Amino acid sequence: MELTILHLYPDCMSLYGEYANLAVLRRHLRAAGVSVTVETALFEDAPPFERADLIYMGAGTERAQKGAITALLPHQEGLRAAVDRGAAVLFTGNAMELLGMSVTDESGEAWPCLGLAEFTTVETDRRDPGDVIAHTSLWDSPVVGFMNKCSVTRGVETPLFDRLSLGLGNQVEHGPEGYASGNVLGTHITGPVLVKNPDFTGFLIRRLFEAKGWAAPEALPDLPYEREAYEVTLKELSARAGG
Amino acid sequence: MRLFLAIVVCKVLRFVGGLMGKGSSLPGQYALKLCPDVLGRVRLPAHIIAVTGSNGKTSTVEMIAEILKQDGRKVVYNKEGSNQIEGVATLILSSCSLGGRVRGDVLLLESDERYAKLTFRWFHPTHFIITNLYRDQLTRNGHPEWVYDAIKPAIFPETTLILNADDPLVSCFARDHDPAKVKWFGLDRCPVSTREHRGVYHDGARCPVCRGRMEYACYHYAHIGHYACPACGHRRHSADFAVTALDLKAGRLTINGETDISLAFKSIYNVYNILAAWSACAVAGVSPAVMAGVIDNYLLKNGRMITFRLGQHRGTLLTSKHENSVAYDTNLAYIADSGKPCAVLVLVDSISRKYFTGETSWLWDIDFDRLNVPHVEKILLYGKYCNDLAVRFKYSQIPADRVQMGEDVGEGLALLRESGDEDIYAVTCFSDRDKLLACVDRD
Repeated sequence: MELTILHLYPDCMSLYGEYANLAVLRRHLRAAGVSVTVETALFEDAPPFERADLIYMGAGTERAQKGAITALLPHQEGLRAAVDRGAAVLFTGNAMELLGMSVTDESGEAWPCLGLAEFTTVETDRRDPGDVIAHTSLWDSPVVGFMNKCSVTRGVETPLFDRLSLGLGNQVEHGPEGYASGNVLGTHITGPVLVKNPDFTGFLIRRLFEAKGWAAPEALPDLPYEREAYEVTLKELSARAGG
Repeated sequence: MRLFLAIVVCKVLRFVGGLMGKGSSLPGQYALKLCPDVLGRVRLPAHIIAVTGSNGKTSTVEMIAEILKQDGRKVVYNKEGSNQIEGVATLILSSCSLGGRVRGDVLLLESDERYAKLTFRWFHPTHFIITNLYRDQLTRNGHPEWVYDAIKPAIFPETTLILNADDPLVSCFARDHDPAKVKWFGLDRCPVSTREHRGVYHDGARCPVCRGRMEYACYHYAHIGHYACPACGHRRHSADFAVTALDLKAGRLTINGETDISLAFKSIYNVYNILAAWSACAVAGVSPAVMAGVIDNYLLKNGRMITFRLGQHRGTLLTSKHENSVAYDTNLAYIADSGKPCAVLVLVDSISRKYFTGETSWLWDIDFDRLNVPHVEKILLYGKYCNDLAVRFKYSQIPADRVQMGEDVGEGLALLRESGDEDIYAVTCFSDRDKLLACVDRD
């Protein structure tokens, strides 16, 4: 079993250690018997979407994000074709905003985005960092993490997380967060969200297996300390969220 | 009248607070409430030096103050590092005459990089030193470009900028500033410089001006080095004040090819802090002899290195800041250079002392592989977030049998106390260091 992950713009869009998401995913996939190739594309490159089973982008500064969309738009057809054949897309942090129609920056300039979803994003002059507990119907356990955003996203019809018991949603506190449609997933949770959440990683692996037409693995092995780290953070954040 | 009242209230609260050992921002806070434009009303010294940046502010301010005092100037400065507008107000008003005149030749301020624009709305520094900008407490400060944008409105045309030439983002502050009002400091290529970038991430990979791929002739640490962007021409400016020779292991440096300085603390940070202080004082007209007299072998009062004993072990506490991977990397490099058999303790229990967060993404930005050297015989990962640390270490090259972990640092240290006599390096944050110091014998 072989699988290719395409990491978009790791030099600019890995502001909160997002590279770790792929390091962890790779190790989990190997543990599930999959041989993984990770390819990277920089701003100057034509990303090899045709080979990709998962396309990943992490968070960047607001300026880096504009660089990313400027670099990506000329190649959007390739990305669209990959999505149509079932490749998974995971964009985290402010990369998620690029899945929508546009991002309007603080000066009022609207930057056209990929248009894989109907939503739009407006940046603000306020940064709202904070811990997150997020609930989804796609798997059982809540997701823990951190968000560091300065934007509001409107018009998401199908969020990844139905509600947050802690943290800022797409538009409002505790509101729905992220985006999920088919295998296209986005969340504003920054940093190594897959590292912190073994069940999110497990969900993604099952989706990747499905897209490849492989039999779903019965149980995915836990790797050392990940579950414990998750439990500690969930406990700490839950205490803060008030139970 | 309100000015008078604000000064009196500040002085009284400061005095009472001092008796009770309270912090220094409260008196200023009250004074600002009584008289919101109080900082615009007081009469300040002709020379106002501000220092900001991600790292090195407190140390740089301390050294500048010592040099200027040695030069016979009366210096008013925030030695406690209360660097937001309230703390600055406390400092200024408690140093005022009742008539509103600050009694000093020089006002020297460590300024919080995010709040500089609030403080300097009321008065403008004559000299502004910007040390560096990198990933530092992203939960609180935002990323370096965000911080850059926050500092920018605090810079005024009449201010002389004293900038770190080796930082490509800091250098951008000079782009629309009168070149006659910019002074640069930097480090020449030296034995610590590398041809290749070292670190988990590279925030200098792209030009901050045009996003083109930056080229580096050499790196000193992180993204600090000699850079040039082939696309737009943004490049390192030659330094007015340069460390022209550096032997970090021996603890010696030379400034402008003329003055030799010995380092009490052999860290690249210390090199830049000394150079920043030197530059500020040289611009203020202090002679090299006076500056060298003070900073040669200078031991920082706010020293973040504490030594201790644990059984037969001798220990050194290297205070890094959680959420600051560059601070960690610098301390790990120090340990890697030490060369003697040692154990390293990393403690992550409370991520911040000022606010709560479970954010641990910064652990992935730290280059823990620096500890993958034979003399680091044992690594102890402790604290509430020991599992996060352990996961992170699984993705390093460090052999698992060198690593032990646990939640309770007291237990870990008790075990260590009973066996061996190797040196111990403890790496942790202000937020956690007292938990460690409670379990060891201070020197």
